[in-house]
Amino acid sequence: MAKKKMLLMKGNEALAEAAIQAGCRFYAGYPITPQNEIPEYLSKRMPEAKGVFIQAESEIASINMVYGASAAGVRAMTSSSGPGISLKQETISFLAGAELPAVIINIQRGGPGLGNITASQADYFQAVKGGGHGDYKCIVFSPFNVQEMWDLTMRAFDKADAYRMPVIILGDGVVGQMMEPFHPTKYVRPGLPEKDWILDGCRGREPRVIRTLFVGSGELEKQNILLQKKYVLIRKKEVMFDAYDIEDAELVVVAFGIAARIALSAVKELRRKGKKVGLFRPVTLFPFPEKQIADIADRKKRFIVVEMNAGQMVEDVRLAVNGKADVLFYGRPGGAVFNPEELYRKIKAAYPRVAGTAG
Amino acid sequence: MATGLTLKELSKKEDRFTHGHRMCAGCGAPTIVKMVLLATDYPVIAANATGCLEVSSCISEYTAWKIPWIHTAFENAAATISGVETMYRSLKKQGKIDKDVKFIAFGGDGGTYDIGLQSLSGAMERGHDMLYVCYDNGAYMNTGIQRSSATPLGADTTTCPAGDIIPGKLRVRKNLTKIMAAHNIPYAAQASPSHWMDLMKKVRKAHEFIGPKFMNILSPCNRGWRSQTNDAITLSRLGVNSCYWPLYEIEDGVTKITYTPKDKIPVADFMKPQGRFKHLFAPANEWLLKKVQEEVDKEWEKLKKQAECGC
Repeated sequence: MAKKKMLLMKGNEALAEAAIQAGCRFYAGYPITPQNEIPEYLSKRMPEAKGVFIQAESEIASINMVYGASAAGVRAMTSSSGPGISLKQETISFLAGAELPAVIINIQRGGPGLGNITASQADYFQAVKGGGHGDYKCIVFSPFNVQEMWDLTMRAFDKADAYRMPVIILGDGVVGQMMEPFHPTKYVRPGLPEKDWILDGCRGREPRVIRTLFVGSGELEKQNILLQKKYVLIRKKEVMFDAYDIEDAELVVVAFGIAARIALSAVKELRRKGKKVGLFRPVTLFPFPEKQIADIADRKKRFIVVEMNAGQMVEDVRLAVNGKADVLFYGRPGGAVFNPEELYRKIKAAYPRVAGTAG
Repeated sequence: MATGLTLKELSKKEDRFTHGHRMCAGCGAPTIVKMVLLATDYPVIAANATGCLEVSSCISEYTAWKIPWIHTAFENAAATISGVETMYRSLKKQGKIDKDVKFIAFGGDGGTYDIGLQSLSGAMERGHDMLYVCYDNGAYMNTGIQRSSATPLGADTTTCPAGDIIPGKLRVRKNLTKIMAAHNIPYAAQASPSHWMDLMKKVRKAHEFIGPKFMNILSPCNRGWRSQTNDAITLSRLGVNSCYWPLYEIEDGVTKITYTPKDKIPVADFMKPQGRFKHLFAPANEWLLKKVQEEVDKEWEKLKKQAECGC
């Protein structure tokens, strides 16, 4: 059997190259650590791909450039980290309201404020619960290795176009900065509806309008109901997750992104020691795999959620579990990164003393 | 009484920006901050934009600042100091404070020319009694040498990389000193750490005006300029002597050149020791090197005319 071709790249660079492969031809960004490899890579690579790279004068300018490029019909992306993503929120709300596709990368760092530049998962609420003003959602992907930085970036562009909405890749300083081998899956463009809404000059056709201002009586409510219908569809169709050793598990660890990667080492070690522990990893944070978690809870499992924050996704897990099982939490805020031994101890401590009595 | 601006006198003054900070060896910024604070004989409150200076001078639990110092997000140093200064004026009016305090904001070129321009312009227009000091090293050095609107024509940075497609940055620098002067503020000036007496005199002069003042100071960065760590002062002097970085001030709209080099040297002399311009010395990029010289000459002539006509 032919050996799979592998590449060795930093997560941020893999993401940037995947964007090019997926047909992204417009990138606007602004410096902030730990995502600088993305604009640096694209400043070289975009001209080769006959695309556009712009370093803007601020994060606000860069996401508004994406707004413009997207309205013109091109696959467009911007990237940043914590403070910069906060600045972009206004326009993320505009993108959602105007139903414009865009891919927004957040390589999370510690917060609040300037925080620090180590990996963090404290922007979960900001990404998943809206972040900007108004009733809107973004599809949120959570990569946990460099392979997923590649694969999910490609998927992000497709989903952004399919649903005409902003899609967020919620990475972190570790997956962004680390190098590891991955298989550069070839991009295959799925069947997507024609972009019959773009503003590309109305000679020979009716003028089109892209807007977020709906001031006529009842107009905005109608638009909002349409948006909500879209989110219902996404909840039904776009959930992605991974489960490891769930079937016979007495204790299920729930973690996303890099926390799941670290937890996986701890779970494997506990399995070796004979503990029935499994790991459930949401890959999409919106839509959240609430049904899958509810199903596990029906089988009377105990959960422990581990996150590199003070407890954010745990709220969604508790909503999904709806009181049917115990949901414990272990988290470290402020850009502190777990090590596998630490999670081994915490997960072991949460393990039910008598098997079968959990819940 | 003001301290004399002699090395002997200054050496007796307390440093209000101390050693122990984590700025790189050979960085121009801490030298500039020291000079600015040494020249200031008043109590000072400083605001700092995000950047090398802020990050490296306040590593958790330590501070290199022996003055009240405040930092907020990248784009807000001028807005933050506006708030502090306004509250100070209010307290003074209420009779709750009687000291004469000076307000200084420090920012790098990224936080000043680019993302901070809106808040800086607002502060200048509102007329706060403050001095904004930009230490201009010509790129986002803190995040890994990305281009800014202060990056000089032809320079290689990580987001305008010199190669087959482009020979480094294709645009000329934004002339921020003049943009600030165009706010009709009482004082705007350009200085360089190589000419320390000139720099400190300008700081003193700035403090004597009531209202917004702006100083743009050339700040060599050996990491981004790809130069030697002992070259900061030499390079800033070459910058001045080539008229790449002319020393001048605009006082109530009247331009005065404060230092005219005896022999104006070619700008290539300033660029040659810097790796960021290395590619411009390749035969294929000769045209661009010529263009850089033309731009410097053009700006210098303009400035001279401005000074001659007293406008």
